[in-house]
Amino acid sequence: MPKIELKNITKKFGDFTAVDNLSITIEDGDFVTLLGPSGCGKTTTLRQIAGLETPTSGEIIIDGKIVFSSEKMIDVSPSKRDVGFLFQNYALWPHMTVYQNIAFGLENLKWNKADIDKRVKELLALLKIEEFEARYPAEISGGQQQRVAIARTLATNPRVLLMDEPLSNLDAKLRMEMRTELKRLHRETGATFVYVTHDQLEAMTLATKICLLNNGLLQQYAPPLEVYSQPHNLFVADFVGSPQINLIHCSVVSIDDSIVLDSGIGRIQFAPRSPIELTKGSCVTVGIRPEYFTEAENGDGIFNAEVVSSLPSGMETTMKLKIGKEMVNSVHFGLVDYPVGEKIEIEDRSDKNLLFDTDGNLLSLGRIKIV
Amino acid sequence: MRKPSNVILLLMTIFLGYLTLFPLLQMVKDTFTVHVSESIRLNKAPGEFTLSHWAKVLFDPSSLSIFYKPFLNSLATSLGACLVSLVFGGVFSWLVTRTNMRWKKILSTLFVFPYIMPSWTLALAWYNIFKNSVVGGVPGTIQAITGLEPPNWLAYGAFPIALVTGLHYAPFAYIMIGGILRNMDANLEEAAMMLKTSRKRIVYKITIPMIMPAILSTFLLVFSSAMSSFAVPTFLGLPVRYQVLTTQLYRTLNGINQGQGYCIAMLMILLSVAILAFNQRVVGTRKNYTTVTGKSSNISFINLKKGRNVISVIVLILVLIVSVLPLISFALESIILLPGDYSFDNMTLQFWIGTAEQNSIANNEPGLLKNPELWKALFNSLKLSLICALTAGTLGFLAGYGIVRGRGTKLAKLVDNLAFFPYLIPSMAFSVIYLSMFSTRHGIIPPLYGTFFLLVLIGTVKYMPFASRSGMNAMMQLSNQIEEAGEIIGVKWPKRMSRLVIPIQKSSFISGYLLPFTSCMRELSLFVLLVTPSNRVLTTLLFYYNEKGWNQYSNGINLMIVIIVLVINAVVNKITGASIDKGIGG
Repeated sequence: MPKIELKNITKKFGDFTAVDNLSITIEDGDFVTLLGPSGCGKTTTLRQIAGLETPTSGEIIIDGKIVFSSEKMIDVSPSKRDVGFLFQNYALWPHMTVYQNIAFGLENLKWNKADIDKRVKELLALLKIEEFEARYPAEISGGQQQRVAIARTLATNPRVLLMDEPLSNLDAKLRMEMRTELKRLHRETGATFVYVTHDQLEAMTLATKICLLNNGLLQQYAPPLEVYSQPHNLFVADFVGSPQINLIHCSVVSIDDSIVLDSGIGRIQFAPRSPIELTKGSCVTVGIRPEYFTEAENGDGIFNAEVVSSLPSGMETTMKLKIGKEMVNSVHFGLVDYPVGEKIEIEDRSDKNLLFDTDGNLLSLGRIKIV
Repeated sequence: MRKPSNVILLLMTIFLGYLTLFPLLQMVKDTFTVHVSESIRLNKAPGEFTLSHWAKVLFDPSSLSIFYKPFLNSLATSLGACLVSLVFGGVFSWLVTRTNMRWKKILSTLFVFPYIMPSWTLALAWYNIFKNSVVGGVPGTIQAITGLEPPNWLAYGAFPIALVTGLHYAPFAYIMIGGILRNMDANLEEAAMMLKTSRKRIVYKITIPMIMPAILSTFLLVFSSAMSSFAVPTFLGLPVRYQVLTTQLYRTLNGINQGQGYCIAMLMILLSVAILAFNQRVVGTRKNYTTVTGKSSNISFINLKKGRNVISVIVLILVLIVSVLPLISFALESIILLPGDYSFDNMTLQFWIGTAEQNSIANNEPGLLKNPELWKALFNSLKLSLICALTAGTLGFLAGYGIVRGRGTKLAKLVDNLAFFPYLIPSMAFSVIYLSMFSTRHGIIPPLYGTFFLLVLIGTVKYMPFASRSGMNAMMQLSNQIEEAGEIIGVKWPKRMSRLVIPIQKSSFISGYLLPFTSCMRELSLFVLLVTPSNRVLTTLLFYYNEKGWNQYSNGINLMIVIIVLVINAVVNKITGASIDKGIGG
């Protein structure tokens, strides 16, 4: 069963380093998303696994077999790596019908006609595109093309499926639908999925594990909820989550009994889950997820805030609030709305607030309140 | 009529209708009438109706030599040329766009050289090198150096004509096929690779079908260009009486059988139109190719591995032979006193700078640089090319503008077809039409035969397709909204053109002038029937020297034409960024 290992993969284009010493292990049956802003090296990483791009150095092992090694001079061609690849723009061949597109890979494997026909019919049914089999790609919609591309990739039963932003060309509704579809396919095929996206929501909802990259460097490799709640550094915290996390710059006032910080939203107290070391006067950052702010219930540790904007969507209301000198994001669940300019009282009862050190790395989770 | 584009379209319809459709009808009529030179033989008064021209060309025992044989020869050489250019240009574009061949940049530049040079360049070089004793005494380079006499099939006739024509038009194939390969989404090929497709099968099943439209367009361009080529078969066919349609046309029209010439010209036009129709039919099928281009992300070049150096060197040598060797050959031939002797003692500059008295072996013709005939022809060539470029470029751009802005209307479609039509008419046939139309007084238009104005007129109409195509391409890329944004704040049309449209599409706009200019500089078959000694241009002077057999002079002039065209291209390219290959498309 396929497990994919990347060891110290580096890819340079001239002077530009696209992927910098990346090492991750993708377990069998995982659904891993490679996430990051554009140009962070995620597509390059995927193409290197497929063999469409040659790493400058490092080693790639698929299912225990070394498919690339710069040291041992091994470079197995893409067609021999036993992986499927789904392209961002589908790459359907415009001169072949839907049926011919799907059958093409099977013909390469020298299947007989009857078996090919059976398998293609199976896939047409699986992807619900039976009625389009005689059409050309230009004659069907984007969502249908997407399904054909998936069917073509799945036809040969690859044990590893690599996908390069396959949903980015679809509209919002179709995208939701296809996400559900992909999760179903992942379960039904039991294959290992590696999925590139720049959409953090897509990564969160689909993946069993997220691999977050920035400037070719691995930032964090963990299950989605862990990435969300325990980001390794400021970049991860900032990149994941919508609306964005509130990052508040503070200076350390005292560290005696509890940690007291001075910031734009006032003097606050941070109670870490576990003891940490800090120097007085140093600069740190506190991260507060927008949903951690709730309407105040008792009188302790209350922030006085002013509503700057309020965007109710029915299920939740996203607000910009002004606390002290800082602007913060806040999400309130349920049917609530506030007039602009209204003064409200809020508090933060979460024990998952984040404290980052001067270099931006996570120090501890903990509770905060205003002093 | 509120829109300027409609006014342009209407004026273009009248202008082009008069200069393309009307002459065509006139020529149809000419195939059924008795001409002065034929009246005695046919025993009918000039101007009377007759079917004898058609009968003679198509249904007479002599039709075989008048039409069928030249027709088959034309067909064979043109198809051969298509094959050569598609293979040579196609393989070259694949190597450049898909593999890690060396020296791509310099090779690409050299590869399009022949397109800039006159079409007979290679033919003349071939003639210089492979000429054997059939043409009378003077041997070619090969025989002079090795003593071996090249066989006739190698030196003249179908094989060399197809080969040199094909090599000359290979840049078409490179520009068109290479353009698609470059823009074609590499994912299409990668997707096949991921599905375990062999390299060979990828080429057959994916790459070639994808570039099919480009192959067909190249085929159309090369075929019609080869069909209408006159100089190449003149150099390489006539020594063994290998007649093609154009040489046959020249013979009949210069002789006493003009009616037959018009019939042949008609048939050539019909053939071109049939090929265009076929092309459009094939391209316009269900298999929509518009989705071909995509973001062509990182193409990974195919590693030629051990073959890399070998292939690169072979390609370099081939390209040098096609692009540089002819120039060396011309230079050499123009300084050799006694043809065939390549020793140092036999070299002289007297054909360039000698006086009339020194050149007694060439009927006292002064050296090229001291020859008033040459300077006059050079001046005429430059003047003609410049005027044609200005008129064809401007009118073509306006036509392109009107066609794109009026897209969807019948008028736009009509103008589009009218403007492209001259491209399909073989140059020689086109000049025949004008000869017949303007040799007599015509309403308010005086007889124009022998005037410089006629040359300008025919050059303008013939080269408009280049300019209108590049104008259309430019306008297609330019959103209508750019102009509308100007219109809404009250900018008038002339200012919208001069301040918005033209500056934005500057380089295609200039390409629209460059193409007619270079084409005109090296045109022979369009002018050869229309010039008189007083308005001779460089190319017809070359043809004149060649007919006289003064090789040194014709080679020298050829060298001059090539250098002038190359220099002008390089200068324009340097200054404006416009280049010849941007304008091709049709």
